[in-house]
Amino acid sequence: MVIKIIQIIVYPILTFIIGIFFIGLSRKMMARIQRRYGPPITQPLIDLIRFFYQKGISHGSIFNFGVILSLAGSIVVLLFIPFGRMSPLSSSGGLLVILYIMLFAPLGIALSGGEGANPNISIGISRKLILSLGYEVPFLFIILAIMTYYKTTSITEIVKIQQEAGWALFTIPLFLPGIAYLLILPAIIGMRPFDIASAPQEISSGPMVEYSGKYLALVHIEHAFTLFIGIALFINLFLGGATNIGFFFLKMIVLFVIVLIVNAVFPRYRVEQAIKYLWKWPTLIAFVGLILTKIPIF
Amino acid sequence: MAKWLKSPDKMARKYSLGAVYFCTGCGVIEIPPVITSRWDAERFGVVAAPSPRHANLFMITGYVAVKTLKAIIRTYEQMPEPKYTVAFGSCPVNGGMYWDSYNTIKHIDKYIPIDGWIAGCMPRPEAIFIAVTKLWMMIDKDAANGYIRYREYYDYYRRNQKKVLGKLAWPPLYPLKKNIEVEGKESKGKEYKEKELLSVRK
Repeated sequence: MVIKIIQIIVYPILTFIIGIFFIGLSRKMMARIQRRYGPPITQPLIDLIRFFYQKGISHGSIFNFGVILSLAGSIVVLLFIPFGRMSPLSSSGGLLVILYIMLFAPLGIALSGGEGANPNISIGISRKLILSLGYEVPFLFIILAIMTYYKTTSITEIVKIQQEAGWALFTIPLFLPGIAYLLILPAIIGMRPFDIASAPQEISSGPMVEYSGKYLALVHIEHAFTLFIGIALFINLFLGGATNIGFFFLKMIVLFVIVLIVNAVFPRYRVEQAIKYLWKWPTLIAFVGLILTKIPIF
Repeated sequence: MAKWLKSPDKMARKYSLGAVYFCTGCGVIEIPPVITSRWDAERFGVVAAPSPRHANLFMITGYVAVKTLKAIIRTYEQMPEPKYTVAFGSCPVNGGMYWDSYNTIKHIDKYIPIDGWIAGCMPRPEAIFIAVTKLWMMIDKDAANGYIRYREYYDYYRRNQKKVLGKLAWPPLYPLKKNIEVEGKESKGKEYKEKELLSVRK
Protein backbone atom coordinates (compact mmCIF):
# COMPACT_ATOMS: atom_id res chain seq x y z
CA MET A 1 0.00 0.00 0.00
CA VAL A 2 2.76 2.42 0.99
CA ILE A 3 4.74 1.41 -2.09
CA LYS A 4 1.70 2.18 -4.28
CA ILE A 5 1.35 5.67 -2.79
CA ILE A 6 5.06 6.39 -3.29
CA GLN A 7 4.74 5.16 -6.89
CA ILE A 8 1.75 7.46 -7.52
CA ILE A 9 3.87 10.43 -6.37
CA VAL A 10 7.11 9.42 -8.11
CA TYR A 11 5.64 8.27 -11.43
CA PRO A 12 4.46 11.71 -12.75
CA ILE A 13 7.76 13.33 -11.71
CA LEU A 14 9.77 10.66 -13.53
CA THR A 15 7.49 10.97 -16.56
CA PHE A 16 7.89 14.74 -16.55
CA ILE A 17 11.69 14.42 -16.60
CA ILE A 18 11.56 11.88 -19.45
CA GLY A 19 9.06 13.93 -21.48
CA ILE A 20 11.12 17.11 -21.09
CA PHE A 21 14.24 15.16 -22.05
CA PHE A 22 12.46 13.94 -25.18
CA ILE A 23 11.45 17.47 -26.17
CA GLY A 24 15.05 18.66 -25.67
CA LEU A 25 16.35 15.70 -27.66
CA SER A 26 13.92 16.45 -30.49
CA ARG A 27 15.06 20.09 -30.68
CA LYS A 28 18.73 19.09 -30.68
CA MET A 29 18.26 16.34 -33.27
CA MET A 30 16.16 18.54 -35.55
CA ALA A 31 18.94 21.15 -35.38
CA ARG A 32 21.60 18.58 -36.27
CA ILE A 33 19.52 17.28 -39.20
CA GLN A 34 19.21 20.89 -40.45
CA ARG A 35 23.02 21.31 -39.97
CA ARG A 36 22.71 23.69 -37.03
CA TYR A 37 24.47 23.41 -33.67
CA GLY A 38 21.19 23.40 -31.77
CA PRO A 39 20.17 24.49 -28.28
CA PRO A 40 21.45 22.80 -25.12
CA ILE A 41 19.46 19.69 -24.23
CA THR A 42 18.08 21.42 -21.10
CA GLN A 43 16.51 24.24 -23.17
CA PRO A 44 12.83 23.15 -22.64
CA LEU A 45 13.41 23.15 -18.87
CA ILE A 46 14.88 26.68 -19.05
CA ASP A 47 11.86 27.78 -21.10
CA LEU A 48 9.52 26.26 -18.47
CA ILE A 49 11.28 28.15 -15.64
CA ARG A 50 11.01 31.36 -17.66
CA PHE A 51 7.28 30.80 -18.23
CA PHE A 52 6.70 30.24 -14.52
CA TYR A 53 8.40 33.54 -13.66
CA GLN A 54 6.52 35.51 -16.34
CA LYS A 55 3.29 37.26 -15.55
CA GLY A 56 0.48 35.18 -17.04
CA ILE A 57 -2.78 36.59 -18.36
CA SER A 58 -5.94 34.66 -17.48
CA HIS A 59 -9.19 34.87 -19.44
CA GLY A 60 -11.59 33.71 -16.73
CA SER A 61 -12.17 30.73 -14.45
CA ILE A 62 -13.11 28.25 -17.22
CA PHE A 63 -9.80 29.12 -18.89
CA ASN A 64 -7.87 28.04 -15.78
CA PHE A 65 -10.12 25.02 -15.14
CA GLY A 66 -9.68 23.59 -18.66
CA VAL A 67 -5.88 23.63 -18.40
CA ILE A 68 -5.99 21.82 -15.06
CA LEU A 69 -8.56 19.33 -16.42
CA SER A 70 -6.38 18.37 -19.38
CA LEU A 71 -3.29 18.06 -17.16
CA ALA A 72 -5.18 15.91 -14.64
CA GLY A 73 -6.56 13.69 -17.42
CA SER A 74 -3.03 13.10 -18.71
CA ILE A 75 -1.74 12.22 -15.23
CA VAL A 76 -4.58 9.74 -14.64
CA VAL A 77 -3.88 8.02 -17.98
CA LEU A 78 -0.19 7.84 -17.02
CA LEU A 79 -0.92 6.02 -13.79
CA PHE A 80 -2.67 3.20 -15.70
CA ILE A 81 0.30 2.56 -18.01
CA PRO A 82 2.99 0.21 -16.67
CA PHE A 83 6.52 1.63 -16.80
CA GLY A 84 8.89 -1.25 -16.24
CA ARG A 85 7.57 -2.92 -13.08
CA MET A 86 5.98 0.35 -11.93
CA SER A 87 2.20 0.35 -12.47
CA PRO A 88 0.42 2.15 -9.61
CA LEU A 89 -3.20 1.98 -10.78
CA SER A 90 -3.18 -0.98 -13.15
CA SER A 91 -6.31 -3.08 -12.80
CA SER A 92 -8.20 -5.63 -14.85
CA GLY A 93 -9.90 -3.06 -17.11
CA GLY A 94 -6.90 -0.78 -17.75
CA LEU A 95 -7.17 -0.57 -21.52
CA LEU A 96 -10.84 0.47 -21.46
CA VAL A 97 -10.13 3.20 -18.90
CA ILE A 98 -7.25 4.53 -21.03
CA LEU A 99 -9.51 4.52 -24.09
CA TYR A 100 -11.98 6.81 -22.30
CA ILE A 101 -9.66 9.14 -20.37
CA MET A 102 -7.23 9.73 -23.25
CA LEU A 103 -9.80 12.14 -24.73
CA PHE A 104 -9.64 14.38 -21.64
CA ALA A 105 -6.49 16.20 -22.75
CA PRO A 106 -7.76 17.56 -26.11
CA LEU A 107 -11.22 18.25 -24.62
CA GLY A 108 -9.76 20.22 -21.70
CA ILE A 109 -7.68 22.36 -24.03
CA ALA A 110 -10.79 22.89 -26.19
CA LEU A 111 -12.81 23.95 -23.14
CA SER A 112 -10.22 26.43 -21.92
CA GLY A 113 -9.30 27.74 -25.35
CA GLY A 114 -12.91 28.67 -26.07
CA GLU A 115 -12.64 31.32 -23.37
CA GLY A 116 -9.76 33.05 -25.17
CA ALA A 117 -11.89 34.45 -28.04
CA ASN A 118 -9.05 34.46 -30.55
CA PRO A 119 -9.89 33.26 -34.11
CA ASN A 120 -6.67 31.22 -34.22
CA ILE A 121 -7.82 29.30 -31.14
CA SER A 122 -11.14 28.23 -32.66
CA ILE A 123 -9.40 27.10 -35.87
CA GLY A 124 -6.82 25.21 -33.82
CA ILE A 125 -9.42 23.53 -31.61
CA SER A 126 -11.54 22.40 -34.55
CA ARG A 127 -8.41 20.97 -36.17
CA LYS A 128 -7.39 19.23 -32.96
CA LEU A 129 -10.81 17.61 -32.46
CA ILE A 130 -11.01 16.55 -36.13
CA LEU A 131 -7.55 15.02 -35.82
CA SER A 132 -8.48 13.12 -32.67
CA LEU A 133 -11.62 11.88 -34.46
CA GLY A 134 -9.28 10.72 -37.22
CA TYR A 135 -6.92 8.68 -35.09
CA GLU A 136 -9.50 7.35 -32.61
CA VAL A 137 -11.07 5.04 -35.24
CA PRO A 138 -7.91 3.03 -36.09
CA PHE A 139 -6.87 3.25 -32.42
CA LEU A 140 -10.12 1.54 -31.40
CA PHE A 141 -9.56 -1.26 -33.94
CA ILE A 142 -6.00 -1.74 -32.67
CA ILE A 143 -7.12 -1.98 -29.03
CA LEU A 144 -9.95 -4.37 -29.99
CA ALA A 145 -7.54 -6.61 -31.90
CA ILE A 146 -5.17 -6.76 -28.91
CA MET A 147 -8.03 -7.47 -26.49
CA THR A 148 -9.57 -10.25 -28.61
CA TYR A 149 -6.23 -11.93 -29.26
CA TYR A 150 -5.00 -11.98 -25.66
CA LYS A 151 -8.54 -12.28 -24.16
CA THR A 152 -7.78 -9.72 -21.42
CA THR A 153 -8.16 -5.97 -20.89
CA SER A 154 -5.32 -5.55 -18.40
CA ILE A 155 -2.06 -4.14 -19.72
CA THR A 156 0.08 -5.87 -17.10
CA GLU A 157 -1.41 -9.22 -18.21
CA ILE A 158 -0.64 -8.43 -21.86
CA VAL A 159 2.95 -7.54 -20.97
CA LYS A 160 3.31 -10.76 -18.96
CA ILE A 161 2.02 -12.93 -21.83
CA GLN A 162 4.33 -11.20 -24.32
CA GLN A 163 7.40 -11.76 -22.17
CA GLU A 164 6.71 -15.52 -22.26
CA ALA A 165 5.42 -15.94 -25.82
CA GLY A 166 7.31 -13.25 -27.76
CA TRP A 167 6.59 -9.66 -28.79
CA ALA A 168 3.20 -8.91 -30.33
CA LEU A 169 4.83 -6.98 -33.19
CA PHE A 170 6.36 -10.25 -34.45
CA THR A 171 3.38 -12.58 -33.99
CA ILE A 172 1.40 -13.34 -37.12
CA PRO A 173 -2.00 -11.60 -36.85
CA LEU A 174 -0.91 -8.84 -34.47
CA PHE A 175 1.86 -7.29 -36.57
CA LEU A 176 -0.82 -5.61 -38.70
CA PRO A 177 -2.30 -3.56 -35.78
CA GLY A 178 1.32 -2.84 -34.75
CA ILE A 179 2.07 -1.28 -38.13
CA ALA A 180 -1.21 0.65 -37.95
CA TYR A 181 -0.21 2.02 -34.51
CA LEU A 182 3.17 3.11 -35.89
CA LEU A 183 1.35 4.96 -38.69
CA ILE A 184 -0.93 6.88 -36.30
CA LEU A 185 1.73 7.48 -33.61
CA PRO A 186 2.74 10.94 -34.99
CA ALA A 187 -0.94 11.97 -34.88
CA ILE A 188 -1.28 10.89 -31.23
CA ILE A 189 1.79 12.81 -30.06
CA GLY A 190 1.24 15.71 -32.49
CA MET A 191 4.41 15.53 -34.56
CA ARG A 192 5.21 16.68 -38.06
CA PRO A 193 3.06 15.01 -40.68
CA PHE A 194 0.12 15.61 -38.31
CA ASP A 195 1.00 18.80 -36.38
CA ILE A 196 -1.95 20.56 -38.03
CA ALA A 197 -3.45 21.50 -34.65
CA SER A 198 -0.49 23.55 -33.41
CA ALA A 199 0.93 24.75 -36.71
CA PRO A 200 3.12 27.69 -35.61
CA GLN A 201 3.64 29.08 -39.13
CA GLU A 202 -0.03 28.87 -40.16
CA ILE A 203 -2.21 29.70 -37.17
CA SER A 204 0.34 30.91 -34.57
CA SER A 205 0.45 27.62 -32.61
CA GLY A 206 -3.35 27.24 -32.66
CA PRO A 207 -4.99 26.56 -29.27
CA MET A 208 -1.90 27.78 -27.37
CA VAL A 209 -1.88 31.30 -28.85
CA GLU A 210 -3.55 33.06 -25.88
CA TYR A 211 -1.68 31.20 -23.11
CA SER A 212 1.09 33.03 -21.34
CA GLY A 213 3.17 32.64 -18.22
CA LYS A 214 2.29 29.70 -15.98
CA TYR A 215 -0.70 28.61 -18.10
CA LEU A 216 1.62 28.12 -21.07
CA ALA A 217 4.02 26.19 -18.82
CA LEU A 218 1.19 23.83 -17.78
CA VAL A 219 0.26 23.27 -21.44
CA HIS A 220 3.90 22.44 -22.21
CA ILE A 221 4.00 19.93 -19.33
CA GLU A 222 0.80 18.36 -20.64
CA HIS A 223 2.47 18.00 -24.05
CA ALA A 224 5.41 16.21 -22.43
CA PHE A 225 2.98 13.77 -20.76
CA THR A 226 1.15 13.14 -24.07
CA LEU A 227 4.49 12.34 -25.69
CA PHE A 228 5.19 9.78 -22.98
CA ILE A 229 1.72 8.19 -23.17
CA GLY A 230 1.78 7.61 -26.94
CA ILE A 231 5.20 5.98 -26.91
CA ALA A 232 4.85 3.98 -23.68
CA LEU A 233 1.53 2.50 -24.80
CA PHE A 234 3.12 1.14 -28.00
CA ILE A 235 5.97 -0.45 -26.05
CA ASN A 236 3.61 -2.09 -23.59
CA LEU A 237 1.20 -3.39 -26.22
CA PHE A 238 3.57 -4.44 -29.01
CA LEU A 239 7.20 -4.50 -27.84
CA GLY A 240 6.62 -6.59 -24.74
CA GLY A 241 7.15 -3.90 -22.10
CA ALA A 242 10.23 -4.39 -19.94
CA THR A 243 11.15 -5.82 -16.55
CA ASN A 244 13.11 -2.76 -15.44
CA ILE A 245 12.94 0.98 -16.06
CA GLY A 246 16.26 1.31 -17.91
CA PHE A 247 15.40 -1.20 -20.62
CA PHE A 248 11.96 0.37 -21.08
CA PHE A 249 13.59 3.81 -21.47
CA LEU A 250 15.99 2.40 -24.09
CA LYS A 251 13.07 1.06 -26.14
CA MET A 252 11.32 4.43 -25.84
CA ILE A 253 14.38 6.30 -27.17
CA VAL A 254 14.71 3.99 -30.18
CA LEU A 255 11.04 4.44 -31.08
CA PHE A 256 11.18 8.20 -30.51
CA VAL A 257 14.21 8.64 -32.77
CA ILE A 258 12.34 6.84 -35.58
CA VAL A 259 9.37 9.18 -35.12
CA LEU A 260 11.77 12.16 -35.05
CA ILE A 261 13.37 11.24 -38.37
CA VAL A 262 9.91 11.08 -39.94
CA ASN A 263 9.19 14.44 -38.28
CA ALA A 264 12.35 16.00 -39.74
CA VAL A 265 11.76 14.84 -43.30
CA PHE A 266 8.04 15.13 -43.99
CA PRO A 267 6.08 18.37 -44.43
CA ARG A 268 2.69 18.97 -42.82
CA TYR A 269 -0.57 17.50 -44.15
CA ARG A 270 -3.59 19.66 -44.76
CA VAL A 271 -6.63 18.83 -42.61
CA GLU A 272 -8.58 16.89 -45.22
CA GLN A 273 -5.42 15.07 -46.38
CA ALA A 274 -4.72 13.95 -42.83
CA ILE A 275 -8.25 12.61 -42.33
CA LYS A 276 -8.17 10.88 -45.73
CA TYR A 277 -4.88 9.21 -44.81
CA LEU A 278 -5.91 8.24 -41.27
CA TRP A 279 -9.23 6.73 -42.28
CA LYS A 280 -7.72 4.89 -45.26
CA TRP A 281 -4.45 3.04 -44.55
CA PRO A 282 -4.19 2.66 -40.74
CA THR A 283 -7.90 1.89 -40.45
CA LEU A 284 -7.75 -0.70 -43.23
CA ILE A 285 -4.65 -2.41 -41.86
CA ALA A 286 -5.98 -2.45 -38.30
CA PHE A 287 -9.36 -3.79 -39.47
CA VAL A 288 -7.74 -6.65 -41.40
CA GLY A 289 -5.71 -7.42 -38.29
CA LEU A 290 -8.87 -7.44 -36.17
CA ILE A 291 -10.59 -9.91 -38.54
CA LEU A 292 -7.51 -12.17 -38.64
CA THR A 293 -7.47 -12.43 -34.84
CA LYS A 294 -10.97 -13.96 -34.96
CA ILE A 295 -9.85 -16.72 -37.39
CA PRO A 296 -8.97 -19.79 -35.28
CA ILE A 297 -5.91 -20.83 -37.35
CA PHE A 298 -3.71 -18.18 -35.67
CA MET B 1 24.99 26.17 -11.04
CA ALA B 2 25.25 28.40 -7.98
CA LYS B 3 23.86 31.27 -10.05
CA TRP B 4 20.89 29.11 -11.04
CA LEU B 5 20.07 28.37 -7.40
CA LYS B 6 20.56 31.99 -6.35
CA SER B 7 18.33 33.67 -8.94
CA PRO B 8 16.62 31.16 -11.25
CA ASP B 9 14.28 33.81 -12.68
CA LYS B 10 17.12 35.98 -13.96
CA MET B 11 19.07 33.08 -15.43
CA ALA B 12 16.00 31.61 -17.14
CA ARG B 13 15.13 35.00 -18.63
CA LYS B 14 18.69 35.32 -19.89
CA TYR B 15 18.98 31.97 -21.62
CA SER B 16 15.45 31.72 -22.97
CA LEU B 17 14.58 34.71 -25.14
CA GLY B 18 11.47 34.28 -27.27
CA ALA B 19 11.50 36.87 -30.03
CA VAL B 20 8.30 38.14 -31.69
CA TYR B 21 7.87 37.24 -35.36
CA PHE B 22 6.59 40.75 -36.12
CA CYS B 23 8.62 42.47 -38.86
CA THR B 24 8.39 46.20 -39.43
CA GLY B 25 10.78 47.09 -42.22
CA CYS B 26 13.71 46.02 -44.36
CA GLY B 27 15.75 45.00 -41.30
CA VAL B 28 13.95 41.68 -41.18
CA ILE B 29 16.00 40.52 -44.17
CA GLU B 30 18.79 39.84 -41.66
CA ILE B 31 16.62 37.64 -39.43
CA PRO B 32 16.32 34.47 -41.61
CA PRO B 33 20.11 33.90 -41.69
CA VAL B 34 20.22 34.51 -37.95
CA ILE B 35 17.63 31.87 -37.02
CA THR B 36 18.57 29.27 -39.68
CA SER B 37 21.67 27.16 -40.10
CA ARG B 38 24.23 29.85 -41.02
CA TRP B 39 24.18 31.72 -37.68
CA ASP B 40 22.06 29.47 -35.49
CA ALA B 41 20.45 31.72 -32.87
CA GLU B 42 18.81 28.77 -31.09
CA ARG B 43 22.15 27.79 -29.50
CA PHE B 44 21.86 31.00 -27.42
CA GLY B 45 18.25 30.18 -26.54
CA VAL B 46 16.84 32.80 -28.90
CA VAL B 47 13.83 31.32 -30.68
CA ALA B 48 11.07 32.93 -32.70
CA ALA B 49 7.88 32.80 -30.62
CA PRO B 50 4.69 32.26 -32.62
CA SER B 51 2.61 34.66 -30.53
CA PRO B 52 3.42 37.80 -28.50
CA ARG B 53 1.98 36.04 -25.44
CA HIS B 54 4.88 33.52 -25.54
CA ALA B 55 7.59 36.10 -26.16
CA ASN B 56 9.82 38.29 -24.03
CA LEU B 57 12.05 39.95 -26.64
CA PHE B 58 10.76 42.45 -29.19
CA MET B 59 13.08 43.43 -32.03
CA ILE B 60 12.00 46.49 -33.99
CA THR B 61 13.61 45.78 -37.34
CA GLY B 62 13.81 48.74 -39.67
CA TYR B 63 11.92 51.97 -40.16
CA VAL B 64 8.64 52.55 -38.34
CA ALA B 65 5.77 54.11 -40.26
CA VAL B 66 2.86 55.70 -38.37
CA LYS B 67 0.58 52.78 -39.20
CA THR B 68 3.22 50.28 -38.06
CA LEU B 69 3.63 52.15 -34.78
CA LYS B 70 0.03 51.29 -33.89
CA ALA B 71 0.72 47.58 -34.39
CA ILE B 72 4.02 47.83 -32.49
CA ILE B 73 2.37 49.40 -29.44
CA ARG B 74 -0.44 46.85 -29.38
CA THR B 75 2.03 43.96 -29.73
CA TYR B 76 4.25 45.39 -27.02
CA GLU B 77 1.33 45.77 -24.61
CA GLN B 78 0.25 42.14 -25.20
CA MET B 79 3.60 40.66 -24.15
CA PRO B 80 3.75 39.27 -20.57
CA GLU B 81 5.76 41.28 -18.20
CA PRO B 82 9.51 40.83 -17.99
CA LYS B 83 9.95 41.98 -21.60
CA TYR B 84 12.84 43.55 -23.48
CA THR B 85 12.94 45.65 -26.63
CA VAL B 86 15.84 46.10 -29.02
CA ALA B 87 15.76 48.64 -31.85
CA PHE B 88 17.57 47.24 -34.89
CA GLY B 89 19.05 49.49 -37.57
CA SER B 90 19.55 53.23 -37.73
CA CYS B 91 15.97 54.08 -38.76
CA PRO B 92 14.37 53.55 -35.30
CA VAL B 93 17.30 55.45 -33.71
CA ASN B 94 16.88 58.78 -35.49
CA GLY B 95 15.03 58.18 -38.74
CA GLY B 96 18.12 57.11 -40.67
CA MET B 97 17.79 57.84 -44.38
CA TYR B 98 14.12 58.73 -43.81
CA TRP B 99 15.07 61.64 -41.54
CA ASP B 100 12.85 64.12 -43.42
CA SER B 101 9.99 61.77 -44.26
CA TYR B 102 6.54 62.92 -43.21
CA ASN B 103 5.19 59.58 -42.02
CA THR B 104 8.24 57.88 -40.49
CA ILE B 105 8.66 57.83 -36.71
CA LYS B 106 12.10 59.29 -35.98
CA HIS B 107 12.56 58.48 -32.29
CA ILE B 108 10.84 55.19 -31.38
CA ASP B 109 12.11 55.84 -27.83
CA LYS B 110 9.31 58.37 -27.28
CA TYR B 111 6.50 55.86 -27.85
CA ILE B 112 7.71 52.61 -26.29
CA PRO B 113 10.74 52.10 -24.00
CA ILE B 114 13.86 50.68 -25.68
CA ASP B 115 16.48 48.65 -23.80
CA GLY B 116 19.18 48.46 -26.44
CA TRP B 117 20.09 49.86 -29.84
CA ILE B 118 21.90 48.28 -32.77
CA ALA B 119 23.06 51.03 -35.13
CA GLY B 120 23.91 50.50 -38.77
CA CYS B 121 22.23 50.17 -42.13
CA MET B 122 22.06 47.17 -42.24
CA PRO B 123 23.67 45.73 -39.12
CA ARG B 124 25.34 42.37 -39.79
CA PRO B 125 23.92 39.22 -38.11
CA GLU B 126 26.98 39.20 -35.83
CA ALA B 127 25.73 42.50 -34.40
CA ILE B 128 22.58 40.72 -33.22
CA PHE B 129 24.68 38.24 -31.24
CA ILE B 130 26.72 41.07 -29.69
CA ALA B 131 23.40 42.69 -28.77
CA VAL B 132 22.19 39.43 -27.19
CA THR B 133 25.32 39.16 -25.04
CA LYS B 134 24.97 42.85 -24.05
CA LEU B 135 21.34 42.15 -23.15
CA TRP B 136 22.48 39.26 -20.93
CA MET B 137 24.83 41.65 -19.10
CA MET B 138 22.03 44.19 -18.73
CA ILE B 139 19.63 41.57 -17.34
CA ASP B 140 22.30 40.53 -14.83
CA LYS B 141 22.64 44.12 -13.59
CA ASP B 142 18.85 44.81 -13.72
CA ALA B 143 19.60 47.51 -16.28
CA ALA B 144 17.14 46.20 -18.88
CA ASN B 145 14.22 47.86 -17.09
CA GLY B 146 12.20 49.13 -20.04
CA TYR B 147 8.98 47.50 -18.86
CA ILE B 148 9.37 49.16 -15.42
CA ARG B 149 9.89 52.54 -17.09
CA TYR B 150 6.81 51.95 -19.23
CA ARG B 151 4.71 51.33 -16.12
CA GLU B 152 6.23 54.30 -14.26
CA TYR B 153 5.97 56.90 -17.03
CA TYR B 154 2.90 55.54 -18.82
CA ASP B 155 1.37 59.02 -18.97
CA TYR B 156 4.32 60.32 -20.99
CA TYR B 157 4.28 57.43 -23.47
CA ARG B 158 0.48 57.44 -23.83
CA ARG B 159 0.44 61.19 -24.49
CA ASN B 160 3.13 60.88 -27.15
CA GLN B 161 1.27 58.00 -28.75
CA LYS B 162 -1.92 60.07 -28.84
CA LYS B 163 -0.05 63.00 -30.39
CA VAL B 164 0.90 60.90 -33.41
CA LEU B 165 -1.98 58.45 -33.77
CA GLY B 166 -4.88 60.67 -32.71
CA LYS B 167 -7.54 59.00 -30.57
CA LEU B 168 -6.36 55.55 -29.45
CA ALA B 169 -8.77 52.64 -29.98
CA TRP B 170 -7.56 50.60 -26.99
CA PRO B 171 -7.88 51.32 -23.25
CA PRO B 172 -4.79 52.25 -21.22
CA LEU B 173 -2.71 49.30 -20.01
CA TYR B 174 -1.87 50.82 -16.64
CA PRO B 175 -3.89 53.33 -14.57
CA LEU B 176 -3.03 56.86 -15.61
CA LYS B 177 -1.80 59.33 -12.98
CA LYS B 178 -3.34 62.40 -14.62
CA ASN B 179 -6.62 62.27 -16.47
CA ILE B 180 -5.33 62.76 -20.00
CA GLU B 181 -8.05 60.67 -21.61
CA VAL B 182 -10.56 63.55 -21.60
CA GLU B 183 -10.30 65.71 -24.70
CA GLY B 184 -8.75 69.16 -24.24
CA LYS B 185 -7.08 68.42 -20.91
CA GLU B 186 -4.01 66.82 -22.39
CA SER B 187 -1.58 69.67 -21.82
CA LYS B 188 -2.32 70.00 -18.10
CA GLY B 189 -0.50 66.82 -17.02
CA LYS B 190 3.11 66.92 -15.88
CA GLU B 191 5.55 67.01 -18.77
CA TYR B 192 8.43 64.58 -18.48
CA LYS B 193 11.64 65.93 -19.99
CA GLU B 194 14.04 63.71 -21.90
CA LYS B 195 16.72 64.25 -19.22
CA GLU B 196 14.51 62.86 -16.47
CA LEU B 197 13.99 59.65 -18.43
CA LEU B 198 17.74 59.37 -18.99
CA SER B 199 18.38 59.66 -15.26
CA VAL B 200 15.97 56.80 -14.59
CA ARG B 201 17.85 54.62 -17.03
CA LYS B 202 21.01 54.82 -14.86
